[in-house]
Amino acid sequence: MDQLAPPSGSPLPGVSGNIGSSSTTAGPTREMLGGVRVETRFGGVDTLDEPITATIGRDLLSIFNKLVQVLYPIRKGAGREVLKDWDLWGPLILCLLLGIMLSVNAPPNQALGVFTSVIMIVCLGSLVVTVQAKLLGGRVSFFQGLCVLGYCVAPLNIAALVSCFVRVIYVRAPVAILAWAWCIWASVNFLDGTKIEAQRILLAVYPLLLFYFILAWMILIQ
Amino acid sequence: MAGYVSIEADDRLEEQPDLEFKTFEAPATNEQHGVGRANRGYIADAQRSTSFWSLDYYQTFFDVDTKTVLFRCINTLNPLSPTYTSAHLNPAPDLYGPFWTLTTLIFALFITSSLAHSIVSYLSDDPVSYDFALLSVAMGLVYTYGIGVPVILWGVLRYGGIIGTGGEGWGLVEAVGVWGYAMFVWIPVSILCIIPIRLVRWILTGVAFGLSGYFLVRNVYPVLASADQKAVRLLIVIVAALHAALALVFKVMFFSYYIIREDDPKKPISTSRSFPR
Repeated sequence: MDQLAPPSGSPLPGVSGNIGSSSTTAGPTREMLGGVRVETRFGGVDTLDEPITATIGRDLLSIFNKLVQVLYPIRKGAGREVLKDWDLWGPLILCLLLGIMLSVNAPPNQALGVFTSVIMIVCLGSLVVTVQAKLLGGRVSFFQGLCVLGYCVAPLNIAALVSCFVRVIYVRAPVAILAWAWCIWASVNFLDGTKIEAQRILLAVYPLLLFYFILAWMILIQ
Repeated sequence: MAGYVSIEADDRLEEQPDLEFKTFEAPATNEQHGVGRANRGYIADAQRSTSFWSLDYYQTFFDVDTKTVLFRCINTLNPLSPTYTSAHLNPAPDLYGPFWTLTTLIFALFITSSLAHSIVSYLSDDPVSYDFALLSVAMGLVYTYGIGVPVILWGVLRYGGIIGTGGEGWGLVEAVGVWGYAMFVWIPVSILCIIPIRLVRWILTGVAFGLSGYFLVRNVYPVLASADQKAVRLLIVIVAALHAALALVFKVMFFSYYIIREDDPKKPISTSRSFPR
């Protein structure tokens, strides 16, 4: 890790590295070694000889943290920093879960089609919505947008799970609508921070409405 | 293990605190672009001349606000409006409206046809089954028609030498915009077509075909008429025929669920399932 230390003499005060999931980055230590100035850094976690369960556990914990942060975005401030460290594992897992839950309940001759269309809608949908937010002039990091939109699918997973077991339409419809509203609320909270002008925020939100509505609809009618 | 050595050249950067960023936004370039493009200053620091492959190039086509897009959509429904043929071009054509009109139409077709199907199945005591293939059919049909046809027409006109090289008058974006906005009328119609009455659906489909076809013809015909050869004007017949075919396909594939009771003696059993016909 010390090989990656930037060649600048001293790190700028506002910039902090984020390697792995360590939050306490120790400052670089310098020493003279044979007339050459050497700079080393220690990330706070030694990941070389830890057991693999610890590695996976840390990743799962980071996914869980982001999930909580996306789905309950009340906590401002330090919480939003979690999202800067984006990953696509969480969205992948959520998307696959949704596809599996929907295709298990579909008629056998359509299961594959349902699975494919769910995966395609989630992937292309979040891609298009993120590009769209950028095109409308939003200040959003591309992969961060993908990550947040992927995590926002989680309420729909709950709705899909519920409708796996409950066949009554009077239960499924409110659950699906609630999940849809939750998705929208969570993702609009994220768009809030992208500084899109007020006159066109509706243009950025509308694709989200459409994207999550079609997924909610597929859950509802399965 | 030896790390990197900080070299002297980097230290010099920190010794110059008074770096100034040069502005590239000359007033002359602004005026040059103000003629054709909407320049409302939403994207203040956008670079004006970017390549075709970068995302910034397309930002000029998404430089619209909510009111503009809504007005352009509603405008296509009213042939008597004074801005009927100019609203979607003034001050600049956009791609937001066409793209999301087409995408909304795809989802509207899928959602309303499956809703109509379940209502019909409920009313005719049929077990409900869903056809997810309709989603991909709708996607292929609408994107092919809404994007493919204008691109091909534009290509024919452009390489037949009917429209100029610089895209003055009728560019690719204008062509896609005309088709995209013309399809808007199908969204409310597809929602209204949930009503399971045969006559109402035929009338609605006819109205939608008329409105969107008239919008297309009013926008495309002046371009064709500007050609020297009279034969070019016959292309409008092909456009109209394609549009009629699309309307018919919509009607047959998505708006054709009817209530059929099992005890209805007039209907043969083989066609009594409420599948699309």
